[in-house]
Amino acid sequence: MSLEEPVVAHRSTPSGEPILEAADLYHGFDGEAVLEGLDLTVNAGEVLAIIGPSGVGKSTLLRLLGLFERPDRGSIALEGTDVWATTDRKRLASRRRVGTVFQAANLFDASVRRNVTYGRRIRRSWRDRVRHEIDALLGRATVDEPVIQALETVGLADALEQDAASLSGGEAQRVAFARALAYDPDVLLLDEPTSDLDPRNTAVIEDAVRAARARGIGVAIATHDMHQAERVADRTAVMLGGAVTEIGPTERVFESPRDDRTRQFIDGELVY
Amino acid sequence: MILEIVPLTPSLLEFPFEWHYVRSIIYVSLYVSLVAVALSTLFSLPVAMLVGFSEFRGKQLVTAVINTGMGLPSVVVGLAVLFTVSNQGPLGSFDLVFTTEAMIMSQFVLAAPVITGVSLAAVGSVEGGVRDAAYAMGGTRLDVALVTIKEARYGIATAVLAGFGRAISEVGSVLIVGGNIAGPDGTSKTRTLTTAIQLEARQGRFETAMLLGAVLLALVLLVNGILVRLGSGSGTGGVR
Amino acid sequence: MTRKVTQSGYEITSNSEPAEFVTGSNYAPAQTYLSVPAIVVSMQIQRRRVLAGLGTGVAVGLAGCTGALGGEDDDAAEISGETLTLTTTTSTYDTGLLDELNAPFQDRYGVTVDTVAQGTGAALETARNGDADVVMVHARSLEDEFLEDGYGVNRRDLMFNDFVVVGEPDDPAGVSGGDDVVSAFAEIAAAEATFVSRGDDSGTHTKEREIWDEAGLEPEERGEYQEAGDGMGEVLVRTDQGGGYTLADRGTYLSMQGEIDLEIHVQGPIEDGPDLLANPYGIVAVNPAVHDNVTYDLAMAYIGFLTGLEGHDVIQGYTVEGEQLFFPEAVAEDPNFQQYVPADWKPEEG
Repeated sequence: MSLEEPVVAHRSTPSGEPILEAADLYHGFDGEAVLEGLDLTVNAGEVLAIIGPSGVGKSTLLRLLGLFERPDRGSIALEGTDVWATTDRKRLASRRRVGTVFQAANLFDASVRRNVTYGRRIRRSWRDRVRHEIDALLGRATVDEPVIQALETVGLADALEQDAASLSGGEAQRVAFARALAYDPDVLLLDEPTSDLDPRNTAVIEDAVRAARARGIGVAIATHDMHQAERVADRTAVMLGGAVTEIGPTERVFESPRDDRTRQFIDGELVY
Repeated sequence: MILEIVPLTPSLLEFPFEWHYVRSIIYVSLYVSLVAVALSTLFSLPVAMLVGFSEFRGKQLVTAVINTGMGLPSVVVGLAVLFTVSNQGPLGSFDLVFTTEAMIMSQFVLAAPVITGVSLAAVGSVEGGVRDAAYAMGGTRLDVALVTIKEARYGIATAVLAGFGRAISEVGSVLIVGGNIAGPDGTSKTRTLTTAIQLEARQGRFETAMLLGAVLLALVLLVNGILVRLGSGSGTGGVR
Repeated sequence: MTRKVTQSGYEITSNSEPAEFVTGSNYAPAQTYLSVPAIVVSMQIQRRRVLAGLGTGVAVGLAGCTGALGGEDDDAAEISGETLTLTTTTSTYDTGLLDELNAPFQDRYGVTVDTVAQGTGAALETARNGDADVVMVHARSLEDEFLEDGYGVNRRDLMFNDFVVVGEPDDPAGVSGGDDVVSAFAEIAAAEATFVSRGDDSGTHTKEREIWDEAGLEPEERGEYQEAGDGMGEVLVRTDQGGGYTLADRGTYLSMQGEIDLEIHVQGPIEDGPDLLANPYGIVAVNPAVHDNVTYDLAMAYIGFLTGLEGHDVIQGYTVEGEQLFFPEAVAEDPNFQQYVPADWKPEEG
């Protein structure tokens, strides 16, 4: 996929269809099992919320979905292809169609521009990269349209030349979101992206999530805030005891859960 | 170009040397130390990255070796390199005894542990989250390594400057492997500022030795200043 | 069997173990009766070698002369562009004489002389390792050992200067003006005056130990004896500051006169002092049979230059603080065979 194409890219998977599927995942650390027989599907053009108690393994799941690590057992498939059963090159290509935003912004110690353009930069050939670096040094840097649009989506198009270190926590997280959006991934994974943010920045991020969905991106958002799930998610998956115990349209899951454990969890959490 | 301006000042101080002589020993000092530090950095950065970000048996031992290496006595290193490049040694056929190349070798050995050790600390302090972010955006291992280096650039610059300081100010190893050779017309072949200072001190000309010492200090300050300027001049984080 | 040809076309064959040339066993009495025939044969080889050395020296010297007369010198072209590595002592180098000698030599032949000032022991050790082409030191016993072990060939007496006993102007041991350095040392020890020694196995230090030996004394046991382990200049400064006496080569003393307050209390042979204080300099080429990488031709050209007429003039004309520092010995009408062999070498009687 060329990087110079218009922002609303042609997606190979139409909205509503599965794009990222995790099947029968088992994964653990230091002998402790975290995921045990977990199945999950992310659909294109849809927002899936993943809720569950702290420490249940949401981050682990997202790391596996983001192809950071190989699951001990089970498969992760992007558009039907098991990514761990292919070559390194193909897996890299698959990984590059997925974006992850963490709870912490994790911005580079550089300008906003360099942060947000990073994803696009590393996808260029080395010759192009060197050429662009020389242009930047000579003051002739240009910025691609998608980068501007990504920043506009989070309301920070004016911050292009600002130092990342000078941003507030909320602004930084918004830039992190723009960073992932700028190279137009097909799947966007968000691990508690607004836990540390004030309501205003939270709202900006949630708007950006909706914008991503509108572009046909499949979004998975792990959150402990069930209200957030209600606000943005089309479907919600409840993770308990290392597996997904219930998954379905958000409203139904919250109002008429099919699983007792779900009801207990929601009742318990909603106290707060 | 700066080296042309400096001769104006010595005339005020009754400099006991011909400018040609001082310029040639400055040149040898800089050539040897800068090349040694450059080569050493090329070697040390990947090593620091490897050691810093892999888990392997013996990692603690390697770290201990690096830290011990920072304190290697320069004379000992000089002797070891001399044994190696001497006619009797394994590299004897390359005719490296009493050459600047051998001096570069010994200063490489002296600077590498310093640069590796300090870089190791610097890259180790780069947050894992930032590395994850680079990876998450589709970076290869090389991309993530480059990001790490750029995030740790101030620590790495400190490491390089520390290595340079160690190299340019040492006298033990370059004296032994270089031989402190200067031609009759005052052109230095293997004479550095430090070995020239040693020569003056040996002859009891302490004030002259101190003068050369001041020149050496000024040179180190200059190099440090240039590098710091380069670092801050590129504004926010420089090249990534 | 390797064959080497000097620039004058004189052939050098090295088809025998260099150790055969002069080793201890050649004149060790216990083995004489066993090896008479071998010794006679080796005597003949040695004589041939000596003559070969002489012949080469003369030929090289003549080659140098024709160059000086301005003729196109084919021989020079063969070694042009090469580098000669000379190791010598720090005190020799610090006099500045070598720069005066090397410049015209470099110009004449279009070569480079790399002088490494290391200190006597290191200079010889470097040569033993084959990292030097020619050695110039002033420690006859060590030079002899170098020859005997086969590492050096074609030794020449180059020049001499002398040592002087210097000390604080007060002269606490009352040795000033004497002409017997051995008794002067004894008086210094008896007076328990401070004596600063080089303590570094240099030529100066070797001479100093020789004098103490002659006096039958072991000064290390005395508290006033300080071993500096330093260069001559530093030792003079130390004696100047701390008082007492030291043995110095005249050259370094002269060049430092402006900075120190020490006076000469016992003169050397240049000023009619005892011969024991003579400081002769020798120059030896590294044996190409032992190290085939040495630039032997160039080393011989250098020795030829230094021991020839031009070298003689430069050495004789070299002054420090207006005084002549070195007295060239090489150009001499009367033969001096002892310079080619270790000092106490004698031909074996049958």
